[in-house]
Order: sequence, then C-alpha cells, then structure tokens
Amino acid sequence: MTLGDQGFDTGFDTGFDTGAIISTRDLRKSFTTKGGEVEAVRGVSIDVARGEIFGFLGPNGAGKTTTLRMLTTLLPIGGGTATVAGVDVARRPQEVRKRIGYVSQLGGADDLATGRENLILQGRLYGGERSTVTRRAELLMEILDLTEFADRRVRTYSGGQRRRLDVALGIVHEPEVLFLDEPSTGLDPQNRANLWEHVRNLRSHGTTIFLTTHYLEEADALCDRIMIMDHGRIVVEGTPRELKQQVEGDSVILSLHEVDGALERATTALGLEPHVRKMTSDGFDLRLYVEDGSVALPALLRTLDAVEVAIRSVSLSEPTLDDVFLARTGRSLRDAGAGRQEVRA
Amino acid sequence: MKGLRDIALLFQRYTLQMLRNPVWLFVGFSTPVLYLALFTPLLKNLSHAPGFPSGSVIEVFLPGILSLLAFASGSSMGFSTIFELQSGVIERFRVTPASRFAILIGPILSGLTMMMVFDAVVVAIAVGFGFRVHFVGLLVLALLLALLATLMAAFSTATALLTKDISSFAAIINGINLPILLLAGVLLPISLGPLWMRVLAHFNPLYYLVQASRSLASGSLATAAVWQAFAVLVPMCALVLWWATRVFRKAVA
Ligand SMILES: Nc1ncnc2c1ncn2[C@@H]1O[C@H](COP(=O)(O)OP(=O)(O)OP(=O)(O)O)[C@@H](O)[C@H]1O
Ligand SMILES: [Mg+2]
Repeated sequence: MTLGDQGFDTGFDTGFDTGAIISTRDLRKSFTTKGGEVEAVRGVSIDVARGEIFGFLGPNGAGKTTTLRMLTTLLPIGGGTATVAGVDVARRPQEVRKRIGYVSQLGGADDLATGRENLILQGRLYGGERSTVTRRAELLMEILDLTEFADRRVRTYSGGQRRRLDVALGIVHEPEVLFLDEPSTGLDPQNRANLWEHVRNLRSHGTTIFLTTHYLEEADALCDRIMIMDHGRIVVEGTPRELKQQVEGDSVILSLHEVDGALERATTALGLEPHVRKMTSDGFDLRLYVEDGSVALPALLRTLDAVEVAIRSVSLSEPTLDDVFLARTGRSLRDAGAGRQEVRA
Repeated sequence: MKGLRDIALLFQRYTLQMLRNPVWLFVGFSTPVLYLALFTPLLKNLSHAPGFPSGSVIEVFLPGILSLLAFASGSSMGFSTIFELQSGVIERFRVTPASRFAILIGPILSGLTMMMVFDAVVVAIAVGFGFRVHFVGLLVLALLLALLATLMAAFSTATALLTKDISSFAAIINGINLPILLLAGVLLPISLGPLWMRVLAHFNPLYYLVQASRSLASGSLATAAVWQAFAVLVPMCALVLWWATRVFRKAVA
C-alpha cells in the first residue's frame, strides 16, 4: 500500500495543471567544494508536455546533468520544486523511480556480466517477472542491434555497443518518461541515426523523452522542443524553428583559394567591413555573420576583390542553433565551457 | 517481500561476479592458508612466554585468523563500492525502485557467504595441524564472525560512498584499520601487552570478537567473553547498518 492509498497528499495534482509531465519551478542546486560554492543550477523552470522529445542543450558545465540528476531522484533538490509524471520528486522519490528510466552520461552497465544478464537484472529490479523480462530483453537487443553480442561480457563491447546497451537498460521496463544524458556520445553516424529512429519510435508509443546533447544537429533533427542552458540558467527555450527565427541575420560562408597570405588579407579587410558582426574561420573557410546576406554579399565580394583574394565558393546560410547561442551569450557553443568553472567564494 | 526479492537479485549478481574473477578467488583462499603456514611455526616458540593463553598454538591462533579474515573481508568491501560508483553501476541501481537496504546488503551478504566458504577451508586445513573441532562452538563463532564482517562491510561501503575516490577512501580505511588490528590481539594476545593497551582494547569491537572466538573454538560457550561479544557487536552492527542505509538513501553526489 502506498501513501496515496491512505488518502495522504500524493502530489498528483501539481504537474497536471499545465498538462506537463515534467514540470519544475525555480529549480536550484549548489555544491560546496574546496574552492567555494558552485551554483550548478540557478532557477530552472521547465514544462515538458506528455509525448514530447525535449532537448537540453548547453556547453560543458552548464548544469544539464545536475538538473537531470535532481529530476531522477539521484540528487536532493537544492531549491524550488519538481514534479515528474505527476509525482512530487522531493516528497515521493520512490514513486518517481517506478515511472522513469534514466541513462546516465557514464552508462553504468556491469562489465563482468553479459548484455543479456544486465538487461534481465535491470528488468527484475523494476519488478518484472523473469519470463516477461527475458522476452523484453530479447526484443530490445534485436531493436538496438545487440543480439550478436548478447551473451558476451560487457567488458568486451565497443564504445558504441556499450552505449546502445545503456539505452536498452534505460527502457527495459517501458518507463513513462525517459531521461537520456548524452545518449549519442560515442556512436557512429549510422548508429546515431538508428538511435534517433528508436527514440522517435518510443515517442510514438507515448513515452516522453528528455535528453541532453552537445550535438546541434541532434537537437535540431530529433527534438520537438529545446532549451539552451548556460551557467545554470535557461538562455532560451522553444522549438528549433522558433529559436532560429529569433536570430536576425544570416551567415555568409566564403571558401578562399588556398594561397599564402590570402587568409590574413581577407580577415583584415573583412574585419573593417561595417556589415560583418562576427567572423570565424575554419582553415580557408570563413563564416561571417551579417545583418542581411543579400545586401552584404556584394560589398563583401568587392572588398575581397580589392585585396586580391580569390574565392572558390560562396554560400548564404540560415541561422543554426549555434547562432542562437552566440546571439544570446556572445560565445559559440562549440568553444564555450572549455576549462571553465564558475566558482563563487 | 519486495525487499527480500531485491536482496536475492543483488546477492546473485555479486556472487556471480566474484565467481567470475579467478584472481579474487585465488587471493581469497591463499591468504588464510599463508597465515596458517607461516605464522604457526613462529608462534610455537612464543607459547612458553608468560601471559600466553593456555592451549596449543593452533587453538589460540586459528580463532584469531578467522576474526582477522572477517575484519579484512568486511573492511575491504568499500573498494568494490568505489569501483561501482565510478563505473556508474550504483547510480543505475539507485534510480531503480529497488530497496536501498537491498542495494547495501546484497553485496555484503554475498561477501559473507564467500567468507564462510573460506573459513570452512581454513578450519579443515587447521584440523590437519592438530586443531580440535567443537562443532557448536564454531557455529556460534560463525554468527559472531558474520556480525563483525557485516558491521565492517557496512561501515566501509558507507565510507566509500561518502569519500567517492579511492585514495581518500584507502587513507581513511587504513588509518582506522591499523589501530583496530593492533589493539585486538589477533596475531598476539593482548594479555601480553601493558595495562594501557589492555584498557584501550576494550573500546575495540574486534577485540571482543577475538576474545570470544578463543573461548568458542575451545568449546566453552557460556563465558563472559561470548556474551560480551554479542552485547557489543549486535547493537553496533544494527547502528552501522542503519547509518549506511541512510547514506545510500541520501545523496551520493
Ligand atoms: N558533485 C559535484 N560537486 C561539486 N560540483 C559539481 C558536482 N557535480 C557537478 N558540479 C559542478 O556543477 C556544474 C554543472 O555540472 P553538470 O555536470 O551539471 O554540467 P553538464 O551541463 O552536464 O556538463 P557536461 O556537458 O560536461 O556533461 C559544473 O561546474 C560542475 O563542476
Ligand atoms: Mg553532463
């Protein structure tokens, strides 16, 4: 018998007001370390609708894992409230655990056991009967392309095989809500595509998916809605399309002919151009952020002509999610966070 | 009864894991055998020293070895906890609805079972060295050994969860183990030591076990040493289990 059966407050009401299956208000967490206090999560409010794939994007150390660990009952909530699947996380963690699956950033499969043994134990810890769980494990291994390795010890798995097993472990009990912390890290493009396929499939069966990722393409292609986080705060939230529409301006990509000195001449000259808001380079490819591509382009080409830099190709591109992050924080997602840690004494 | 089911599942898992590790099995068996083979000849000469308990060397020494094994097998538990913490296995278990007590006690019980098997082998070998078996005494002793091993294992696991990394865990456990071992009279009877040592020993759970183990191995059940050992170990064990379960329930950040 659970508390709910006895007429206690079950916390089943909070989440349903907004129709959200995951709902947080002003969620916070700080850690006390030797260097002082680290505010990992500083007031995050999210509503994730049932059946959504919700993506959590942000540079290293943004607070994604910490948020996930609070929602999955692994870390005590530092401040604010959270409900998952209609259950208050702080008050009834055990009820939350029954309804969710979690694939951590680390994985957590047992090295000395086989893939099959791992899955069966996991299913049984969720209360499944041996026969049911065995069948379910068989099915999952087939879907995630693991059957071939099913009876090999996990120690012998490749990184990608292991990651797929981790995902299988998270869904063996058919949870209502699935939390995935960087599920596609270490997967090759083929397996990443398979995983996306599988995640979409889970959603079509009614599972809500909350995932974190560093891959912009992944967030863009897979998620119904995304939230970008930085320094423990929400930077922006919406559908990928909405977010990209918020960034005014385009980017111009110029591929220069690979001639000595061309890059230097081009960057110096273009740096003086009033149209160019920001410029990044990747070898002889330059990416320029401009107000309006069609207006800026002729001017840019004239400038390059004047300093005698020949170009191989020019393209105009729409904003990416990276541009969204750049526009909001002044940094690029790709280089933000490296080696950075916020410490408040 | 879900708790019992969880315990059984996790017990199975850890036992299988140990059986799959041949190095571990080998070390587990060879350590006590080495003690017996290398120490007993040395002690032969000591047995005439004043203050040495009566009885043959093996009778004094074997109970000490069993106590030491229980202590060591318990306090080394945390090393595998650290490993499982770092590989994410514990976190994976903590997210399931499995009972927290089961996550703690599953591996402990598995370790206990292994220890009992080793103990039986050691006793069998000792019989070859002239050890006389008092069956009931040994059964009661097994109970006390299990209590101490559980106490140490729970303590060690909780310490591992709190320290989280191998170096600080090892430092703490070694720092605690050394005085406990020296003040327990495991290898040499504490009665050979000065008064302050004998007084300090009374704050040491292992000391009570060693005292009781000598009495039980020689077949005397109704001695002060035996009931004192139960009186000390039962509440301590319960207290530490309660604390360790609490640590599991709370953050393992
Ligand atoms: N247990 C802890 N003790 C102290 N600080 C912590 C702890 N866990 C996380 N932090 C700090 O909190 C901040 C957020 O960490 P978190 O792991 O949530 O980031 P993340 O967004 O998941 O990053 P990544 O993309 O690298 O996985 C970091 O500055 C990190 O150092
Ligand atoms: Mg993370």
